[in-house]
Amino acid sequence: MSPIDRRLFTHINWPLLAMVAMLFGTGVLNLYSASGFRIGDGVSLNPFYQKQCIWGLAGLCCLVALTVFDYRYLKHAAWPLMIVTLVLLALVPVIGKTVYGAKRWLDFGAFSLQPSELAKFATLLVGALMLSKDSGRLGWLSLLTVLAVVLPPAAMVIVQPDLGSGLNILLLLCGMILYRGLAGRVFKVLLVTVPALIPCGWFFLKPYQKLRILTLFNPERDPLGSGYHIIQSQIAIGSGQMWGKGFLEGTQSQLRFLPEKHTDFAVAVFAEEWGFVGSIILVAMFCVFLTLLAGVARDAKDRFGSFLAAGVFFYFFWQILINMGMVLGIMPVVGIPLPFISYGGSATIVNFCLIGIALNVSMRRFVFKKT
Amino acid sequence: MPKTYESDSGQQTPRGGLILLQALVLGLFCLFTLRLWYLQVHRGEHFSDLARENQMRQASIIAARGMILDRNGKALAVNEPSFALGLIREDCEDVQGTLRKVAEWTGLDYQVLLDTYIRGKKRSKPFEPLVLISNLSYELLAKIEANAVSWPGLEILIRHKRYYPDGMLMAHVLGYVAEANEEDLEKDSRLALGDHVGKQGLEYVLEQRLRGEKGLKQIEVDAYGREHDQHVLLEPRAGGNLKLSIDAGLQAWAAKQLEGQAGAIAVLEADTGKVAALVSQPSYDSNLFVLGIPPKKWKELRDDPMHPIQNRVAQSVYPPGSTFKLLMAAAALSEGLIKTTDTVFCSGSYRVGDHDFHCWKKGGHGSVDMRSALVHSCDVYFYQLGERLGIDRINRYALQAGFGAPTGIDLPHERGGLIPSTAWKKRRYGENWTRGETLNASIGQGSVQVSPLQLAKFVASLVNGGRIIRPSLVLDDPVDVQAKLNLSDKDREFIVRAMADTVQAGTAQKLKRPDAVIGGKTGTAQVVRLANADIRQKTHEMAYKQRDHAWIATWGQKDGKTYVVVCMVEHGGHGGETAGPIVRSIYDYLFGPAPGMPKAQKAAEAARPEVGD
Repeated sequence: MSPIDRRLFTHINWPLLAMVAMLFGTGVLNLYSASGFRIGDGVSLNPFYQKQCIWGLAGLCCLVALTVFDYRYLKHAAWPLMIVTLVLLALVPVIGKTVYGAKRWLDFGAFSLQPSELAKFATLLVGALMLSKDSGRLGWLSLLTVLAVVLPPAAMVIVQPDLGSGLNILLLLCGMILYRGLAGRVFKVLLVTVPALIPCGWFFLKPYQKLRILTLFNPERDPLGSGYHIIQSQIAIGSGQMWGKGFLEGTQSQLRFLPEKHTDFAVAVFAEEWGFVGSIILVAMFCVFLTLLAGVARDAKDRFGSFLAAGVFFYFFWQILINMGMVLGIMPVVGIPLPFISYGGSATIVNFCLIGIALNVSMRRFVFKKT
Repeated sequence: MPKTYESDSGQQTPRGGLILLQALVLGLFCLFTLRLWYLQVHRGEHFSDLARENQMRQASIIAARGMILDRNGKALAVNEPSFALGLIREDCEDVQGTLRKVAEWTGLDYQVLLDTYIRGKKRSKPFEPLVLISNLSYELLAKIEANAVSWPGLEILIRHKRYYPDGMLMAHVLGYVAEANEEDLEKDSRLALGDHVGKQGLEYVLEQRLRGEKGLKQIEVDAYGREHDQHVLLEPRAGGNLKLSIDAGLQAWAAKQLEGQAGAIAVLEADTGKVAALVSQPSYDSNLFVLGIPPKKWKELRDDPMHPIQNRVAQSVYPPGSTFKLLMAAAALSEGLIKTTDTVFCSGSYRVGDHDFHCWKKGGHGSVDMRSALVHSCDVYFYQLGERLGIDRINRYALQAGFGAPTGIDLPHERGGLIPSTAWKKRRYGENWTRGETLNASIGQGSVQVSPLQLAKFVASLVNGGRIIRPSLVLDDPVDVQAKLNLSDKDREFIVRAMADTVQAGTAQKLKRPDAVIGGKTGTAQVVRLANADIRQKTHEMAYKQRDHAWIATWGQKDGKTYVVVCMVEHGGHGGETAGPIVRSIYDYLFGPAPGMPKAQKAAEAARPEVGD
């Protein structure tokens, strides 16, 4: 391992880091509001925001750890990680711990591990490795090879069932494939067949998942079930109007009409309290953040690094699109958190790790070549 | 910064890919901005309204129902706090589990609770308490209070419960309140499920005066239904108290006189029409209905052969018997058909066609004028009077005097009774009226039917100067003169005097007392047409249902106060014998015991003058 070049620290992508800090700070502030609910005169708080701060610190450590070594060593880690991931995923149905009716966790006594989180890294690394091998657009053979490697872990995650993570893995890979570019004929065929295949996918969904999709088009269909989330979230967001109700003043969230307000629906709390103006600023922050990630991909010194950064871009892009789309009522309710805003330990750690990878790629863009 | 770098492998980063990333970011921004604009600005107002509805519940504040007092201020209908167990559906996570728990605490049948829930579900909003159990005992209340915390949605409701301290005594006057049913809710939009409304008696008729207006409060709640804050939007307005003209002491005394018998007593102030006592026996307990009468109990009441639910004063009509002769005399005098001094010969019977119409006195009264005909209740005299008047003139006069129509008292379901006419017979039976029927009607038999209250109202008009006054139960309500009796003062006074003579020397001698002027007219109304052999049977020898109804219509005057007392005893036999002593003791109550006279009961045994009529 090469010694760490002190000059590297001067090349840290400060704008990206600052953007992450701002988003995470906004998230903690929002959780502070979301975790309080009024009882009588006083405000009682669930310590979600405190825990989130601790997760953030842990994530920061991981972020630093993932920046210190040259990311090119990850090429060697890609395949072993994929194999370990597949083994662990296979173990989940056998010895997994059931939480909320889904077997997603492996209990190692001191800590629990969600192999689906590992699968995201494995997919990112293997995907970046395979796609960066050649240049030019993807033909049938290489496309199918990549899919053959990455579809099994995605499928195993989906059947856990963890549709959110499974989709995340699939979409992450799709994004990277699109980033590489498809050969014209392949693109044309897929353009026709994929939309045709989507209805077939319908039959693999569980009834509650189908209901969620149907509910999207007509929330009143099941106003107290899956439609409840959509209706309440839209009421919370909409009632924020132009300027919002003010910090800690959101009645819908404070009075607990809004379900899962600290996890998947956290942004509704934000939109209610900060209004249209605040929401647009948050969306803009996310867009700046994504643009910075795209910049990392663009400026990477090699194709592997560029694909890694593109993978990180897509990882965040889909989550932002699906989570906010769901909260705003334009996407089905799928359990995908909003990066940095939603409460969640493992998600926070994974997010920071991926930022670490992006920073790693970004700060080494000058190592071999300087202008 | 340069736009691109050569990678170590000399390959460029994919240019198309970079464009894709930028396009996606731009698309994301546009999509969310548009959607946020739509939700927060375009439809913000709408969602704001929804949010307000979401967190605010409006609940009504129950207004206390007005109390009902007797003329001396004694409470007849009051409110007591009562506790009910309610379930707020919206807050209840596990209805079946909760109901099972309630069944366990209370010992009630789970299925019954579930039925109550299912019925209530249709009629109450999810956030309104659905009443599971109406009346909780304190013991049960404590038990539920202690346990309900762990069962969200259960709520103890504090409500008012109507209580009638003299439930039996006042039932036919006060009626009762009960929970509003579907029909009530339909009729009155201000009512809500679980509200109590008057169902019978004064409670029903004066509902609007008694009910008051509910208040409204706004409660801020969270999604678990926990209350955070509340404020009153509209103060409730309690219903007005009602002071009745009823004297509870007199009422109790009168009811006691009728004890064990079926009958009715009406005591009116002659000058005002105010009802001092209104008794219908047998009675029922108003309190039974307040919390919903158990079906078994209801069946018992409904199927009771003595019909305790029937208000015999206003809702029952009977042939008035000889008391109707007062009206016949008034009609004949008013029509100028006869002078009071004109005499008729009574031989004991009167022949019409091939049928003999008997006088109650077998040997006949001999030559009678109007005074003696009234005093001794001669049937033959009134047969002839009836013949001269004809049924249609009798009908017209009776209707003018207030018969054949409800009196207008503040009680529901009053019956109007029946005064026949040729047109009525034709309409009802398609047959012509016969002379014989006129004779029957003339002595208050046949199809003539009046209520005790109508008779009381008529007697009051005779003694109060001819004013036909609506009987009224509310002390402070203005006196309502409905009409004027179509009779000259001279003729009216003649009849009143004849009534006094009846007490002095006729069929109502049991009422005689030295310190007051009392007038009366007895009546015995045949219930069934008896075979000739049975006619002279003694009352106590007959089957109860075949016995005649005993009537007495009286007025009494002392110290400037004039009362009208009418008593009817169903299947009581002779008016003078059965109804007389009852009215006698009512005057004892009104005027104090008669000086120098044996007690009413003793008098009844001692003096048996004419068994009249």
